Amino acid sequence: MFKLNLKIALRNLWKNKGITAINIGGLAIALAAFILVMMYASYETSFDKENPNYDNIYVVGVTYPEFKTNYVAAPLATAIKQNFPEVESAGLITGSSFELTIKNGNNTLFTKNILVADYSAAKILNIKPNSGLLRPQGDDRLTYLSTESMKTLFPNKKDNKPEIVGFGASNSGITGTIAGAIKNNTHSNFKFDGVSIASELGKNDNYNMNAYTIYLQLKPETDVELLEQKINNLYKAELLKSNKVTDVKSISTFLDPLANLHLRPKAGNDAAYKILIALSTLGILILVIACINFTNLSIAQAAKRGKEVGVKKVMGAFRYQLTTQFLVEIFMQCLVAVVLALMLAELVLPSFNHLFQVQLSIWHFHNGLFWQLPLILCVITFIAGIYPAMVLSGFKPAMVLKGNFSTSKQSYWLRNGLLVFQFCIAVVFIISLLTINSQLKYMRTQDVGFTANQVVYIKNLTLFNNPSKLGSVSFEPLREKMMNIPGVKSATVATYIPGGTNGVNSYSANGITANIDFVNVEFDYFETLDIKLKEGRFFSQKFKTDNVNSAVINESAVAKYGFKNPVGQTITGSGIDYKIVGVIKDFKSQGFESIVQPTIYTINDPHGDYKTQIMVKIEESRMAEVLATLKSQWSQINPKDGEDFRYEFLDELYGKLFKKQEQLQSVFFAAASLTIFIAILGLFAFAKYITTGRIKEIAMRKILGANDLQIFKLINKSFFVMVLIANLISWPLAYILTKKWLETFAYRIDIPILPFVLSALITILLTIITVTVQARNAVKANPVDALKYE
Amino acid sequence: MIKIENLEKVYKTEEIETTALNGINLHVKAGEFVSIMGPSGCGKSTLLNVMGLLDKPESGSYKFIDTELLTLNDKERSNFRKRNMGFVFQNFNLIDELTVFENIELPLIYNKVPTVERKRLVNEIIGRMNIVNRSGHFPQQLSGGQQQRVAVARALVTKPKLVLADEPTGNLDSTHGNEVMELLCELNETGTTIVMVTHSSHDASFSNRIINLKDGHVISEKINKGKTEELI
Repeated sequence: MFKLNLKIALRNLWKNKGITAINIGGLAIALAAFILVMMYASYETSFDKENPNYDNIYVVGVTYPEFKTNYVAAPLATAIKQNFPEVESAGLITGSSFELTIKNGNNTLFTKNILVADYSAAKILNIKPNSGLLRPQGDDRLTYLSTESMKTLFPNKKDNKPEIVGFGASNSGITGTIAGAIKNNTHSNFKFDGVSIASELGKNDNYNMNAYTIYLQLKPETDVELLEQKINNLYKAELLKSNKVTDVKSISTFLDPLANLHLRPKAGNDAAYKILIALSTLGILILVIACINFTNLSIAQAAKRGKEVGVKKVMGAFRYQLTTQFLVEIFMQCLVAVVLALMLAELVLPSFNHLFQVQLSIWHFHNGLFWQLPLILCVITFIAGIYPAMVLSGFKPAMVLKGNFSTSKQSYWLRNGLLVFQFCIAVVFIISLLTINSQLKYMRTQDVGFTANQVVYIKNLTLFNNPSKLGSVSFEPLREKMMNIPGVKSATVATYIPGGTNGVNSYSANGITANIDFVNVEFDYFETLDIKLKEGRFFSQKFKTDNVNSAVINESAVAKYGFKNPVGQTITGSGIDYKIVGVIKDFKSQGFESIVQPTIYTINDPHGDYKTQIMVKIEESRMAEVLATLKSQWSQINPKDGEDFRYEFLDELYGKLFKKQEQLQSVFFAAASLTIFIAILGLFAFAKYITTGRIKEIAMRKILGANDLQIFKLINKSFFVMVLIANLISWPLAYILTKKWLETFAYRIDIPILPFVLSALITILLTIITVTVQARNAVKANPVDALKYE
Repeated sequence: MIKIENLEKVYKTEEIETTALNGINLHVKAGEFVSIMGPSGCGKSTLLNVMGLLDKPESGSYKFIDTELLTLNDKERSNFRKRNMGFVFQNFNLIDELTVFENIELPLIYNKVPTVERKRLVNEIIGRMNIVNRSGHFPQQLSGGQQQRVAVARALVTKPKLVLADEPTGNLDSTHGNEVMELLCELNETGTTIVMVTHSSHDASFSNRIINLKDGHVISEKINKGKTEELI
């Protein structure tokens, strides 16, 4: 019986090759998209899952009135370990604050990220050097470099023995020991170029120094909520005891599981999580559309299978046998689609990996595909197949054998309903894509208030703080040397560059005390970035006091402190009374998502961060020439930084703020194209069945005098109405979704009408073309043939 | 063999109620060849569908060798049908995707006949029907007469007690039509009971008894003398 059913199925599929190809091809494309999304989702949700203590590891964070942070004081870790027996272990980690140069002879390594961890944290986070994790003696540190970093420095090294290396410029004379190599796990929250392990960290720190992140490993069965409360009470008590803080009411601690760290940390944003949810929804919707095609085409094909059902029933087939037969047929098609989908996914994977900056592989056993795929196969077979199988197996033999194949009214409504649903999704995607495009266009063309073009950001290890911090030097000699190079327009240095995060500190003015952003700059900062002055002046060498207590603030800061005439007023912070000498227009240093923060710019800041970020404005026509000169003369220009000239273009760095949205744009472009493509495929096949079913009617109408246009109109009418309904249903939904998305931007466009009109035009036009192409054969056929055929 | 009493069947649509069978009484003896005739819409096909358990009447009784069939559920009807009945249709109703051999084999599969036995039975009937050289062909590759021979072969391969034929020559020219009628007569001569619905007096002349229906009633019965004597 199975063999015979198989034969019927295969011959049937072969007979309807076109439809079969559309059906299986559409499903394969959708499945490929779904497989990629699924792989990405399981990759993104399983960071650090290989850690045997994954479920018992928590980060201790602090909530302040303005923000949440994972940076806490080191003594808290010791206090937690001493007071709570349910805490198995408590460890500290921190990152290195700037890029470090490591040298071995002529081999140079620029490390961006050295993870500093104490022994307990290394144990908790499963950080294992290749030679095994050892506890360093006393205050010594054991520094390991990632396997890739080791290869750069010691290309021929085979053993695991320690090596002596130089730090910084060749003439710095600073050396150190690298204890060995450590494998970098790219599927972990803790990625590094190297790891520095100490026996203990933050021994001499107090509760005012929030420099570390605390990781706790809890004993299994620990009541986390209770512990969270206990740690909160302990932290407040310790803060009061330390006399560093008097008001602890508005401060609290929280525990955040390791599982949250990658996608939705409590102290951080959950944009990655939202994108993942959006992406998963897109994947599911695309698959649903393809399943709808299957269902719709299978019901449409019912007429052709009616006789077979009737005959089999007459011969004694039970309904369940026929239901099973049709389900098996659909299963076989889905199976072929899965195999094709895997091939397609493999082809698309390199681009996908590039877009999302991941290294996914279909053939990786841990990605879970080996059990997810069979499950999906069964689910889509069921979703796409159960209704057509029930419809087909439910035919009354006495009716269908007389040639009456009409399916029920319910199936008519279902078929049309499903078609409308498909187009609803397509319309939402089109509107979303067009809105994303409009917002991105706005972001690219809108004046951000400063000019990053032709500004080169030079990476540098020399500190140019004023007043001098330990080992820092004046920026003036450097500026002079650079300005001597023909083509250099201006040069400056600051603690932060636009596009990065600024520092936050408390400043008082006009009777108001508030935490606002600060940037410590040098002369020519505003000129280099072409920032617009609103009133007063920029910093100038002509004014001796600018080095001491002058400040420039932005419009938002003026509003924050309620200044009427800001220039000449005083603003106090870090123990200095600054005189406001100028007000600049707000500029979007953080891109379009966050509102411009009240910001103060000063040259002098005794408590500021390291002033290391050099920015040079260069004439466009002499860019290559200037960069070549800087490179060749760098060790003379900036002797403390050494011979390694490293730079990036500021506009590219600032452009990275747009990357997430551009990623979203690519995803929506792919999703919208796919949904449209699959929906049109379905429509194409569906229209074919509809016109075939109406071939006699068309012939009769032609005989009675209808012209081609009238018949095209007749056939298109019902599809036109369906697509119009789909548009009307989708518009409110698309409006809500795009509005929500736009609300994530501080600076955004008003919801445009054009995407809504365009979505209607695109879908209607595509529908008319598709249906007309299909109807053409029926319309052009000789009516006599059609009637004879009937 | 068949005792039908007071059979009533009504078709209902949203607006109209049509009585297709109105108190039909009909007895068919084993080995008989009965033709049912009448104008279009008189209920011939409905009666045949009810006899073939493809349709359910509103009321009445239908006994097949003392078994009341109208009280059976769907599964029992299906089982009874495949063991005791064979069907021949006007439009042949062969499955286009199956070859001649496979079409004939189909009812045996549903009757769970073992493979070897199945092959033997199919080959035997193909030989009897003189379609051996067509066994690997698909229905579209055969003439109408040949297709109907295959349909008859398919109806007979399970050796049913009753063959129900619905206008078996309706789609055939007179030469092929006669061939099919002769085939049915041969079958009848070997003891198979046949009930045939037809418009054609010529075809009906091959049967032992002709029953005339009109508006769901049996209005007359005619014994075909020549044939009845043969039967006696």
